[in-house]
Amino acid sequence: MAQNLQYFLIPFLQPEMMLLIWVGVFAGIWVGAIPGLSVTMAASLLISFTFSWDINSALALICGVFVGGVYGGAITAILINIPGAPAAIATAMDGYPLAQMGEAGKAIGLCTTVSVFASFVGIVVLAVAAPVIANFSLKFAPRDFFLLAVMGLLLIGSIGGGDPIKGITAGAVGVLLSMVGMDPSTGELRYTFGNLYLMAGISFVTAMIGLFGVSEALTQFRSSGMKSPKQNLDRIIPSWATFLKYLPLSLRSALLGVFIGALPGTGGDVAALLAYDQAKRSTKHPSRPFGKGALEGIIAPETANKGAIGGAFIPMLTLGIPGDAVTAIIIGALFIHGLKPGPMLMIETPHLFWMIVSCLSIASVALMVLGLISVKPFAKIIEIPKEIVMPVVIILSVIGTYAIQNSVVDIFYMIGFGIIGYFLRLYGYATGPMVLGLILGPMLDANYRRTMQGAENQILPFLQGFVTSPISLFLTLSIVFLLFSQTATYRRWRGLE
Amino acid sequence: MKRSCVLFLSVLLMLSAASMGFAAYPEKTIQGYIMWGAGGGTDNFARAITPLVEKHLGGSIVLQNKVGASGALATTLVVNSAGDGYSLLYGAENPANYRVLGLSPLSFHDLEPITVAVEGAVVICVNPETPYKTMKDLVEAAKESKKIRMATSGVGGLPYVAGAMMKNIHGTDFNYIQFDGDGPGATAVMGGHADVMPLALSTSVEYIRAGRLRGLAVLATKRVPQLPDLPCITEVYPEYAQYLPWGPFYGVFVKKGTPADVVAKLSDAFTKAMAEPRFEEYVRNSGGFKNGSTGAEAVKFLEKFESTASWLIFNAGGAKKSPAEFGIPEPRK
Repeated sequence: MAQNLQYFLIPFLQPEMMLLIWVGVFAGIWVGAIPGLSVTMAASLLISFTFSWDINSALALICGVFVGGVYGGAITAILINIPGAPAAIATAMDGYPLAQMGEAGKAIGLCTTVSVFASFVGIVVLAVAAPVIANFSLKFAPRDFFLLAVMGLLLIGSIGGGDPIKGITAGAVGVLLSMVGMDPSTGELRYTFGNLYLMAGISFVTAMIGLFGVSEALTQFRSSGMKSPKQNLDRIIPSWATFLKYLPLSLRSALLGVFIGALPGTGGDVAALLAYDQAKRSTKHPSRPFGKGALEGIIAPETANKGAIGGAFIPMLTLGIPGDAVTAIIIGALFIHGLKPGPMLMIETPHLFWMIVSCLSIASVALMVLGLISVKPFAKIIEIPKEIVMPVVIILSVIGTYAIQNSVVDIFYMIGFGIIGYFLRLYGYATGPMVLGLILGPMLDANYRRTMQGAENQILPFLQGFVTSPISLFLTLSIVFLLFSQTATYRRWRGLE
Repeated sequence: MKRSCVLFLSVLLMLSAASMGFAAYPEKTIQGYIMWGAGGGTDNFARAITPLVEKHLGGSIVLQNKVGASGALATTLVVNSAGDGYSLLYGAENPANYRVLGLSPLSFHDLEPITVAVEGAVVICVNPETPYKTMKDLVEAAKESKKIRMATSGVGGLPYVAGAMMKNIHGTDFNYIQFDGDGPGATAVMGGHADVMPLALSTSVEYIRAGRLRGLAVLATKRVPQLPDLPCITEVYPEYAQYLPWGPFYGVFVKKGTPADVVAKLSDAFTKAMAEPRFEEYVRNSGGFKNGSTGAEAVKFLEKFESTASWLIFNAGGAKKSPAEFGIPEPRK
């Protein structure tokens, strides 16, 4: 125990590491905020950059960027409706309407506070229960990932606008578009027309930037002459009463985030989407209706994606299995620095575990300070007249899209999605479900096929699996309940209507 | 006299300018395209060696992941580049199979190897809770039933080819389940969602050491130093020798037709970088073996791999086109 404490104190005793974490968080906020620039990208660049450094310093910087980057995604989501990262999609749903009402400062301030709280929840779970959760997460079969994807798709009901048919249509188109490219199991080419660029598939990040950012800018041009909302910057830091009021929701969403983050291959994006849906269904009296600036709609996804940071480290540090894309890169960094990431990592190099816990904690404190300092300047940005901001949004979208993988083709996709998004909005379709379909489509497709292959393509053993495995049964029942809870009978019984 | 003097001087000037042009390579930033995603084996290799190469080359290489179509996207980019040595492809074994799988008309024949840097071995791994304690157990059980679930990374990937090898030799057939790659497949085997998977040593070595996976045999003609207790397959079934050596590898390539002196300069820089202790340590830790071949030796290695892999895929029924169509010779028995 004393030894663990000693490991925990490593970054505190090295001013250089301390500084690097702060620098990392600061840089991460910007990387996260700029759409297209992702934490994954930053982390892989940092591997080359920190090649000749000591591993501790390299990890300190990467941890800082990780925490800052996940947070930064929310800033642009709230301010200009472009989620800086997929994990902030749900945040845009209520954050942007709030900013349009002049409450951007309040939204970002609340987002910062609950983010730091959730980040600590993730770290505590990581420190206390990592081996248990890691072993449990291994038990998730392809069937369970399929069920999680189905659960995610139910979110269309929450973000699809008023008309279910329109929401489902947009979602289905998204799933269909996600099928473009190589079939994940046979390598067969689907909808590619022999075109190499279509073979690579359609990146959902380009779709996200187009459908959210550019289509919003185009819609704004239509209503030109509209004044930018004057921002109210009096009370940025939420009061204790507000914080305590939302504490149960924050804790619940953060824990959900930790767990989803700990599942191999699912990260903050899926966690945030599920948490938003869960919050929408369970909150009886939101501060405003969901989708129109509910504070709950910011808290749930933002706490979930911060919790997912600690979560993603759980299987990585205990088993050497990445919990998400960023931890996959950190595993690579460990290899390059001469360590052996795997189940023996914690036994052979125990200092690493506690040092990472410590780095993440310092990063969360840094986030609190740097996040709150930058609320005012950020919120001021959207007081700039729309004629100036919106062209900048489009330029930023183009640069961000190009940055994903230096591909000009992606820019065309992005603009195409922007125009499609504009017409979708014009005719009352929400763009969120389409992005949702693109994100969840591959997860749905690949895991359904794996489950089917596991059942030797027999329908009966396939269906049996849903009731014989406890995890699958639980998830199946949850989905049934979620569907049932929308029926009039249930709502009358619970007094919701 | 005056005129010839001018002529002489201008020729001299041109010559020196030309020679300076060559001597100056690299005179601008080199683009390095990694054919697989961040955090994968190819990516790790690229990021481990490039800073060392930059030092010896005296220029900078900007790395970027160009993921798509099993690396065919990055390969196409490099083949369509100017062929001046400013576009490098950091790749794995995949281009050897593009043609038979119908993914792309390109292959290693359109590329010039700078080096085949690192080789790996494949280990047949099972979940430790399965009853298969030895390779013989697994083969006998697989002969009896087709219900053993083998995780693969898709048709044409390494696990698939290893499965094809077993099919050719023993006539075994597994229930194949495709995962997104070695890592997710290994995770699924550890979680019991698949029973067996042939895995690169680099992916599996730590899991085997920790007892999370059970290694049955390494697909090589001799044991590997990382796992000295693990038998090599030819100890159990000598008939595998016809396909070996075979396994994953990482290399660096440029477009075919790149000037020879540029290729030589790059090969030289990579050779020096591979000799650095830091890189050797990385190779050892990641469960690989240094190959380091360049030039004709590397070309020979690639041709042998292409022949083994594409005929195995074809015989297992996974190919769209016969390797014979492309003049790929059948491996000698």
